[in-house]
Amino acid sequence: MKVVRTLKSIGKLLSFICLSSAALQAQKSVKVGILHSLSGTMAISETSLRDVVLMAAEEINANGGVMGHKIEPVVVDPASNWPLFAEKAKQLILKEKVSVTFGCWTSVSRKSCLPVFEENNALLFYPVQYEGEEQSLNVFYTAASPNQQLVPAAEYMMDEYDSKKFYLLGTDYVFPRTANKVLKAFLKTKGVPDANIIEEYTPFHHQDYQTIVSKIKKFSASGDACVLSTINGDSNVPFYKEFANQGLTSDDCPIMAFSVAEDELRAMDVPPLVGHLAAWNYFQSIKSKENKAFVKNFKTYCKKNNLPGGSKRVTDDPIEAAYFGVYVWKAAVEKAGSFDVDKVRKAVYGLKFDAPGGKKSMHPTNQHTLKPVYIGEILKNGQFKIVNKSKGLVSPDSYSSYLHKKGEEPKPTGGPNGDGTL
Amino acid sequence: MARRPVRVPGGPQAFKYKTYTQTHPKPEFFVQRLCSNNRILLTLTLFLQVSATILAQTNQPVARKEGEPKILQLMVQLASEEEEEVIQAIKNLALTGDLRLENFFDLYRQGSVYLWEDAPEGILKIVVNEETVENDDFDELAPLVHPLTKKPVMIDGKQARPLIEDLTDISPGRKVRKIANSSKFLIRLASPNPKDRISGVKKTGDPPQNIDAIPSLQRIIKEDPDEKIQWTAKESLLLIRLAGVLPEQTAKDREAAIQELGNIKSLRALPRLQILLDTLNEAKEKPEGADAWTAAAKQSIKQIDKHETSVERFNNIFQGLSLGSVLILMALGLAITFGLMGVINMAHGELMMIGAYTAFEIQRAFGHNPDNPVDSYFFVAIPVSFAVAAMVGLIMEALVIRHLYRRPLESLLATWGIGLILIQLVRIRYGDNIGVNAPTWSLGGNEILQDVILPNGRLFIMLLCAACVGLVYFLMNKTPLGLRMRATMQNRDMASSLGVNTRNVDRCTFALGSGLAGVAGCAWTLIGGVTPDMGQNNFIVDSFLVVVTGGVGELAGVICSGLGIGLITKWVEPLRIGGFVVGAIWAKVILLAIIVGFIQFKPAGLFAPKGRLSDV
Repeated sequence: MKVVRTLKSIGKLLSFICLSSAALQAQKSVKVGILHSLSGTMAISETSLRDVVLMAAEEINANGGVMGHKIEPVVVDPASNWPLFAEKAKQLILKEKVSVTFGCWTSVSRKSCLPVFEENNALLFYPVQYEGEEQSLNVFYTAASPNQQLVPAAEYMMDEYDSKKFYLLGTDYVFPRTANKVLKAFLKTKGVPDANIIEEYTPFHHQDYQTIVSKIKKFSASGDACVLSTINGDSNVPFYKEFANQGLTSDDCPIMAFSVAEDELRAMDVPPLVGHLAAWNYFQSIKSKENKAFVKNFKTYCKKNNLPGGSKRVTDDPIEAAYFGVYVWKAAVEKAGSFDVDKVRKAVYGLKFDAPGGKKSMHPTNQHTLKPVYIGEILKNGQFKIVNKSKGLVSPDSYSSYLHKKGEEPKPTGGPNGDGTL
Repeated sequence: MARRPVRVPGGPQAFKYKTYTQTHPKPEFFVQRLCSNNRILLTLTLFLQVSATILAQTNQPVARKEGEPKILQLMVQLASEEEEEVIQAIKNLALTGDLRLENFFDLYRQGSVYLWEDAPEGILKIVVNEETVENDDFDELAPLVHPLTKKPVMIDGKQARPLIEDLTDISPGRKVRKIANSSKFLIRLASPNPKDRISGVKKTGDPPQNIDAIPSLQRIIKEDPDEKIQWTAKESLLLIRLAGVLPEQTAKDREAAIQELGNIKSLRALPRLQILLDTLNEAKEKPEGADAWTAAAKQSIKQIDKHETSVERFNNIFQGLSLGSVLILMALGLAITFGLMGVINMAHGELMMIGAYTAFEIQRAFGHNPDNPVDSYFFVAIPVSFAVAAMVGLIMEALVIRHLYRRPLESLLATWGIGLILIQLVRIRYGDNIGVNAPTWSLGGNEILQDVILPNGRLFIMLLCAACVGLVYFLMNKTPLGLRMRATMQNRDMASSLGVNTRNVDRCTFALGSGLAGVAGCAWTLIGGVTPDMGQNNFIVDSFLVVVTGGVGELAGVICSGLGIGLITKWVEPLRIGGFVVGAIWAKVILLAIIVGFIQFKPAGLFAPKGRLSDV
């Protein structure tokens, strides 16, 4: 481990030197931090985000940089170690003096480094869909809040599949627990009785889904049930395999997944998943010129830089959110005419922009992003067929309206005064 | 057109094939041709077409009943303003039984079907467009395809590309969408593919019950070659009768359906019967026959409950055995490296990971993928995984472990380090994401009794596990090599002085243990995922758990503890204590508590070494 770490840090040092010498040649530069795990359990997902942020930086630099400044990315590896996220964030903010940081995947990693960003009034762009119930003035959330993913998906199941029974299945950590709390509250407002909702959790890396699939089979015998799955990471493979092997299909009981995107499908034996669903705000299969160009650029970038997977790499929701995060920051800086965090923050509010997946905009107050919601059906090639699209953009709730009464939501945290005021 | 009669002598088969794939002449077409072409030929063609349709109908009971022009005409009605007319059109379309309509309904639901009112003479009115293109003037053009054949709609030798504004969007509302969806299953009833047919049969019995399916279901009950499909059709038909949605249905008929569902022990009926009971209980005004229904439903629920309990019991045991055999397979290699040799091999999980990645490489070499399966790759992958993992084990042994035979704690740290290095090497080589496509024979399962499905992949792993245990037993107890291994492990100095080359024996033993881990990793790809850190996440703790509980150094111990842990886990997990369901997390906690308690009383495990051996 040590040897690997040392090798890695030497590598990092070298690339850092290269980058800084390149930056010296250009007249002015601005440092941005990239805080994604490149080793450990989360590397499987987070590495792609580092790649796409670096690609965005390269694109921006090739087009003249941000207000004439070249972007100088500083990559650190918090190694899927939650306390290390706080330490690395501190290093980025205090030692490297970065103007902005793009990073984090898991909620626990975000919660771990959040105090550092708030204490130093620094800025973090967080690109992954999460459970909500948070609104820090030091974070911009470029992915979905629960009402932009969970609730529309449950609505879709009720409308299109006539689902009356819901099996909420998740991995045992904060996102599924909070997500299911929101889902349950929503289903109750729709008049679904308690007896028709089952909530169940499995440990991380759970591999034996025999009992759970038997239970689902019994639950769905009435023909009007569905599974809303927040199962995370490597547990998905044995779950879907067992599901198919016990003779269940997406017609008997469709599975709507909230944590399975194109990048995860790359690592799976896809045939057992075909016909099941997922809800996201972006799919690689979105048909637009901008998106096609984005997908092509990403593949070319991965191939050019000899990244694992090369041109077989795919884009997905978090990758898009991480990518346009950089552009949102750039646009805000240019609008504010300054790299100052407080001025940039104000410029971000209400900002309208073009992302690969279409036009989007930032919420005027609550730090989140207005996005469209898509439902996709999994295809044999590991891509999604889009079967439903929301009408227009869906406005984000930082605190779920199903858990808090209107006007009684908690106040935002952080900000220039450290107390949630602007 | 003129060539058509020539094809007929090829037999109705050849003709039928053509009618499925070739774009049919449109009705307007006939009129045009009438003026220009030979009338006799035309009459002949028309006659042949009709007779071919009849032939197709008589030859194949599932073939469509209507010709394509009729279907296209019905489709035009989908553009009607009246919802009732649209619904009727969908129902009529479904009744034609044309299998291509399933795909059409999907496109229709997703809003890819358009009405082209200004279509040129002789061109379809209902067209499909999935993706628009932009021309240089930024106009959005819609390349059109045929709604049934999905071939491009041609005008003057080029695909038609009208402006998207010229097409009328006829995407359905929610209510119509649902009807289109359930009609999809009606069409599947006529499919020649048993998998599609059974899904259609099943879904037509589910809510919202589709009455139009009844004649087809009755036909399937009588004629279908597959018994399971016959049975399911019977079940679905009863479920439709149970739902009480039939027009002019008598109370007696519904009662009979309730009783019959109990007699055939239909698990799908169970929740519905309970709902029926609940609604009857709560109803203020009892409908006619309510008392008889209640009595019949109670009786049927009792019958089905009994059946369900026995199915569950059987499932629990099978699942326990299956989990147990996975655990034994995982732990078998460790039982040798740790159990016999005393090396605390923390890289055991990584050796399994190497086995899994070897399976991936072999799959790639064979070119196996879901579209083009080469199932035999797996039988090559098993021995190769063994060889590769054994090689890695040999190298590990030669470089590190042989220096640490008498120092177990150092070997723990060293092998942990080796494990991390292996993980990172694999990550650098493969990145994080790969997918092993299981061979097709391992997918799905066999229904051996009513509602008891045994998944093929798991059955195979049980067999593989038994084979591995048998081979290891044979090797250890019936061969000279096994004798030398046991001698060396029991008393190294004595064995050495009797002429056994203990270095070679050490190498062989460690390679054997490593190779078995490789086989386990290869088998794992049938039921689980493959990631670089799968060893640390999924295997290492469970493997040690099995070996330690079983008693270090005994094959029988591994088997007993593996099966024991599997059975206990699968027995505890579905338990329901009051309102509390144990579930996966608590099952693990309870299991660990049991093992901790057990180790207190039997520190050396189930099969402790006895006599002098226990001192070594």
